[in-house]
Amino acid sequence: MMMGKPKIILKSVTKYYDAYTCALSNIDLTISEGEWVSIIGPSGSGKTTLLNMMSGLDTPTSGTININGTDLTGLGQKMLAKFRRENVGLIFQQHHLIPYLDALENVMTAQYFHGKVDREIAREALERMGLGQRLKHRPAQLSGGEQQRVCIARALINDPEIILADEPTGNLDMKNGEIVMGIIKQLVDEGRTLVIVTHNMDIAKQGRRTIQLVDGKISTDSSRQTHNPLETSVGRKANSPPTSTGSARR
Amino acid sequence: MMFLRIVARSFNRRRPRIAVAVIAVLMGASMTSGLLTVSTGIEDKLAKEFRRFGSNILVIPRSDTIELGFPGISFGSVSEQRYIDESDLWKIKKIDEWSANVLGFAPMLYQVVQVEHEGNVQRAVLTGTYFDRAFPDLTKAGEIWSTGIKKIASYWNVEGNWIEDDDNGSVLAGVSVAEKLKLKLGDSIYVSYENPETKSTTTEQLSVAGTVSTGGSEDSQLFVPLSVAQRISGRLGKVHSVQVSALCVECPAELIGAEIEKKLPYTQAKTVKQLVRAEEMIMDQLGQMMLLITVVALVASGTTVTTTMMTTVMERRREIGLMKSIGAENSTIASIFLAEAVIVGVTGGFLGYGLGNVLAQHIAESVFSAPITPLLTILPVTVGISLSVAVLASTLPVRRAIRIDPAIVLRGE
Ligand SMILES: Nc1ncnc2c1ncn2[C@@H]1O[C@H](COP(=O)(O)OP(=O)(O)OP(=O)(O)O)[C@@H](O)[C@H]1O
Ligand SMILES: [Mg+2]
Repeated sequence: MMMGKPKIILKSVTKYYDAYTCALSNIDLTISEGEWVSIIGPSGSGKTTLLNMMSGLDTPTSGTININGTDLTGLGQKMLAKFRRENVGLIFQQHHLIPYLDALENVMTAQYFHGKVDREIAREALERMGLGQRLKHRPAQLSGGEQQRVCIARALINDPEIILADEPTGNLDMKNGEIVMGIIKQLVDEGRTLVIVTHNMDIAKQGRRTIQLVDGKISTDSSRQTHNPLETSVGRKANSPPTSTGSARR
Repeated sequence: MMFLRIVARSFNRRRPRIAVAVIAVLMGASMTSGLLTVSTGIEDKLAKEFRRFGSNILVIPRSDTIELGFPGISFGSVSEQRYIDESDLWKIKKIDEWSANVLGFAPMLYQVVQVEHEGNVQRAVLTGTYFDRAFPDLTKAGEIWSTGIKKIASYWNVEGNWIEDDDNGSVLAGVSVAEKLKLKLGDSIYVSYENPETKSTTTEQLSVAGTVSTGGSEDSQLFVPLSVAQRISGRLGKVHSVQVSALCVECPAELIGAEIEKKLPYTQAKTVKQLVRAEEMIMDQLGQMMLLITVVALVASGTTVTTTMMTTVMERRREIGLMKSIGAENSTIASIFLAEAVIVGVTGGFLGYGLGNVLAQHIAESVFSAPITPLLTILPVTVGISLSVAVLASTLPVRRAIRIDPAIVLRGE
């Protein structure tokens, strides 16, 4: 198995929202460069919380997080914002766009926060998403699928190495879902690391590795290089990444 | 560029809310600029009035409320009419030690009348006085001494003709009255006076002999010989006050005043210095009240801006969270809201300056019956104050915006 260097390293990450809500409990997880990792699990199991940890949108109660060589522990808000701009592209379930800006401006806003606005690059990014004819449309004038593609264009505009997607097709119909997944697949083919939260098993299956969360703990973590769970488990033992727990099960 | 675009677009979307904030600032700003204009204008006027005032002692009946009515500025109304007898006036020139220093005096009898000219009707103060009246000189036997406004008020600027003191049918019109009624030299006007006690009305026809301009309250008065004013108002032999011009290089005007009071025990003689001090006190109090009103108005504007901005921040929390999640720093978020505050403050300031001038004009006309010139120097002050109020009022909402958790975006709240 040819795995790149580790991109995302979580060590004993625990998140309490309050004294009674333990959203993540002692998570150890390593994700390597170029990996496609699907995160599945029942509602409330901590999937979004996990993604928030990886993107620096939220901080763990305890444990350490290292993303793309940056240790997020103890970073201030300013540094976290900088980290997000430079390292991760976020794709949300609801197509979060700024309502009063058109498609092009929404993409350019991300460029602006990154420091350099280039209209041409923004336009090309939207054209790649098949939105060449929709540049001047405001979110309300776009379909759900189109809005999601604007989001993706925005997430990619600063060329992040890591894509974090939280149910990107959750609000889309089959056809639009397929278009969006096609684009996402292409991103991984280009060598980006993808962590995608999904309820859709068909989508999860497209990745090589699926992590199932239950009650804030990793209940299964399967590498899909091979269809033999036992072999996977053995292989992992040999390489002994400290992050994997449990055995692959289907 | 992108920053401006974000600000402009979001602005455009929330015009009604922004309008509320701008109006709030405008209110405070108009108060500020209006009251600043009025107080500087009035102070200027007073200062000028006193500086070029010809006489330096004012004689008035004792404990009369007209006390505050030094020619030109009348505060309060006359509750208890008291008069000085015209027949006593000669005594002013025959005081004990300082008689020679009394250069001249002019009695004043005021009444509000209705003036009509070619269908136009105006209210104005009709003042009776001496213009240039000859007396036997009581200090030097056999000589004639003439006194009156012409002698003591060198600042009077008369176009046309002065009036003789025995002229029954002429009037000298203040320039603003003349302007309002479109009076030309030689025009006839009708002056009506309603006696408040008998309710009977006296009307006289007078012809305009000339116009007078002083830059002071005289501009909105009509001047006639004392005898004419006494006849119209039925106050024969009476005057309200006497302006006295005393030569005072060395001598203190207070001493001359004291001698006059001794000769005319039912009067008090105030020096201009004393009157200025009284005026200054009134102006101080007026100024403090204006300041208070302005501060209250500004606090009210600030509060409105804060609540409006706060609502805006709450409405836009998703958007703020989103911006943060895609990498906006707190300072960027803060600048977006502060830029809004700056625009609101500056717009409100400019509009407020305009409205403030209208306000000042209104106050000046109705309270001081004199127009006031807008002062351009007040514009930057007003804009500066509104800007500070708007920015200050936004600090709380901005802090709120900064505290918004970017994680709300993924949570889909
Ligand atoms: N801000 C918060 N404050 C308190 N509790 C929270 C907060 N966010 C999430 N939780 C709780 O933490 C747990 C994990 O939530 P999370 O959003 O990560 O679940 P999820 O796996 O993404 O669920 P879903 O599939 O419904 O999106 C849940 O019990 C949830 O109620
Ligand atoms: Mg979720």
